Amino acid sequence: MDMLLSFLATIHWQDVADILLLSYILFRLYVLFRGTHVFRVIAGLVILWFFQRIAVFLGLILTSWALQGITAVATLIIIIVFRNEIRSVLQAKNLKAILWSSPIKTAHTPTEVIAESILALSRQHIGALIVFPAMENLRDFVQSGIQWNGLLSKEMIASIFWHDNPVHDGAAIIQEDRITEVGVILPLSYRNDLPSHYGTRHRAALGLAEVTGALIIVVSEETGNVVAAKDSNIIDIGTNDELIKILKDHAGVFEEEKGFFRKEKLELGIAALASLILITAVWFSFSRGLDTLMTLEIPVEYTKSDPKIEIIETSVNAVSLQLGGSSALIKSIRPEQIQVRLDLDKAVAGRNTFSITRDNITLPPGIFLKKVSPSVVEATLEVIIKKALPLQVDWVGKLPEHLILSEIKLDPEKIEIIGGNRILENISTIYTAKIPLDNLQQSGSMMINPVLNPASLKISSESKDQIIVSYVIKPRRQ
Amino acid sequence: MKRTFFTSIILLVCIAFFLSVWGFAQNNKDTLPRRALEKLTLENAAMCEEIKEYTPYNSAVVFSIKIGKVSCFTSFDPVPEKTFIYHKWYHRDKPSTKKKLTLNPPRWSTYSSILLRETDKGPWRVEISDQKGNLLRILRFSITD
Repeated sequence: MDMLLSFLATIHWQDVADILLLSYILFRLYVLFRGTHVFRVIAGLVILWFFQRIAVFLGLILTSWALQGITAVATLIIIIVFRNEIRSVLQAKNLKAILWSSPIKTAHTPTEVIAESILALSRQHIGALIVFPAMENLRDFVQSGIQWNGLLSKEMIASIFWHDNPVHDGAAIIQEDRITEVGVILPLSYRNDLPSHYGTRHRAALGLAEVTGALIIVVSEETGNVVAAKDSNIIDIGTNDELIKILKDHAGVFEEEKGFFRKEKLELGIAALASLILITAVWFSFSRGLDTLMTLEIPVEYTKSDPKIEIIETSVNAVSLQLGGSSALIKSIRPEQIQVRLDLDKAVAGRNTFSITRDNITLPPGIFLKKVSPSVVEATLEVIIKKALPLQVDWVGKLPEHLILSEIKLDPEKIEIIGGNRILENISTIYTAKIPLDNLQQSGSMMINPVLNPASLKISSESKDQIIVSYVIKPRRQ
Repeated sequence: MKRTFFTSIILLVCIAFFLSVWGFAQNNKDTLPRRALEKLTLENAAMCEEIKEYTPYNSAVVFSIKIGKVSCFTSFDPVPEKTFIYHKWYHRDKPSTKKKLTLNPPRWSTYSSILLRETDKGPWRVEISDQKGNLLRILRFSITD
C-alpha cells in the first residue's frame, strides 16, 4: 500500500495529460485510417519496431541495426506511397471530423436502390461494373472517367449500362447517394488463377480491388451473375440480402440494428482501451524504467550582456554531469538536449567564482541531475579598451645573397586595437602576416594584413586593416 | 745683470702661470654651464652586419641567420658627461638580452651584438634607452633563413 502511495506521489498531472493526449491521438489515428491499406501497413511497421526493440534488448546488434534501418526507410516509403490516402483522410474531413466525430455513419448510401438496380441489370443480362471507393483517392489508379455527379436512382444506373450508351463499357463510381464518374477504365488484374468464364470486367474489378480498399460489383453480361471484388477476393452474390449486406458493410452504414451498433461501439471501446494501455506501457517503459546513471561531458555556455566586458579565461570549458533516469530515456539523450549556462552579468572585471546549480542546467523531461563536477567555476573577465600599437613586418625566407633589405616604411606605422586590458598590457607590437623574401629583387611596395593574436583582439573601426609596406633593396657591400 | 735676468725669468714664469690659471678659470666659466645645459642626443642608430672603423657596415632591416651575428650601432653627440645607456633586445616581444654601454663626453659611439642561433629567426626589436630608462629609439629588424 505504501509503495502504491509513494508511486502515485511521483506522478505529476503532466504525466497523466501526456498519456491521455497520446492515447487519444493513437485512437483517432485508428478511427481515421481503419479499413485502409495505410492502417495495415502502419500496424506492420509497429510490429517491426516492436521486434527491433526486442532485438536491442537481447543485444542482437546486427538484427536491431537492420530492423532500425528498415523501419526508418519503411516510414518514409509509407508517407510517399500512401500520400493520397493520407491526404484524403486529412483533407476530405473537417477539423471536427478529424478530432472528434464518431466514425459510425448514418445511412446516406441508398443500398437498397443500388441492390435492386444491380439485380435488375442481372436479370436483363446487362453487363455492369460499379465501384464503391473506400477512403483512398482512386485518381492514381483509374483513367478516362467522365464527371457525372448525378443523383443515384434505379433508372440512372440502368441507363448508364444500357448497351447503346457510349460509356456502358466503363465503370461507374458511386459515392454516397451520387454517381460521381462513369466510363472509368480500371487497372486489370494479372492473376492467372481466375475461372475461365471471368471476362474483362472481372479482371478490372479484381485489378482495382488488389490495389485499393474499394468494393467493386460486377454484373456479367453473359451469365447475369453478380460478383463482388474486395481486397483481392471475388465473392459470388446469390441473393439480394447478401448484396445489401456487402454494400452496407463496405460503406460502414448501420441501420437501427442494436446488435450492430453494440458491436461497433465495443470495437471502438476496445480500440480506445488498447490505445490507453499501449501508450501507458510505452510511457512507463520510457520514464519509469530501471533507473540508470550516465555521465556526460557538457560544454559550459558563458553568457554576458555587457559588451565592454570580455571573458578572458575560464577554469573549465565543460562540466561532467551525472544524470539519472529510466534506461530508455537515458539511452535516448543527446548531448545537444542538455545545456549548462552560466550568466556572467553580475560578474566584475577580474577573477570571479561561480557555483553551478540545477538552475544553470537544462535537462530533458524525466531526467534528473545527480552530480556536477566541478561544481565551482572560475571566470576571469576584462574591461575592453583601445590601444594604439606599432606595427612590425614579419619577414621570412631568404633574399639573394648579393642584396640587402636596407629600409622599410609602413603606412600606417601604428594600428588601434580593441581588446581586454590585461591582454593588451602584454602586447607591445602587432606583427604583419609573413612576407616571403625569396622573390624580392628590387625596391617596391605591397599590401599586407596584420595578424591578431589572440583572436579576441579586433582592429578598431578607426584604423586601416591593411598596411602598405614600402621597402628599399640595395646591393650588399662586400 | 745676471740677477736681473733671473728676476725677469721668474717674473715671466709667474705671469705665464697667472695667465694660464686665469685663462683656465675663464674657460671653466664658459664651458661648465654650457655642458650642463646640453642633452644626451642619439645621433645615429642602425642595425648592421658588422662595425668597421667605428661605423655600421651593411645596415639593414633583415638579416640572414647565416651571417652569425647582428649588431646594434648607436652614436651620441653630444655626450655632456660620462653616462651609460641600455640596449634591450626583444625577440617577438620577449626580452632576450640587456646590454649596459658606457658613453664618454664629448661624443661617443658604441654598439652591442648578439650571436644568432637557429631559434632566433623571427621579428626582433632593440630598445635604446638612457640610464634613467627614457626610451630614445626602437630599431626593428628580422632574422630569416
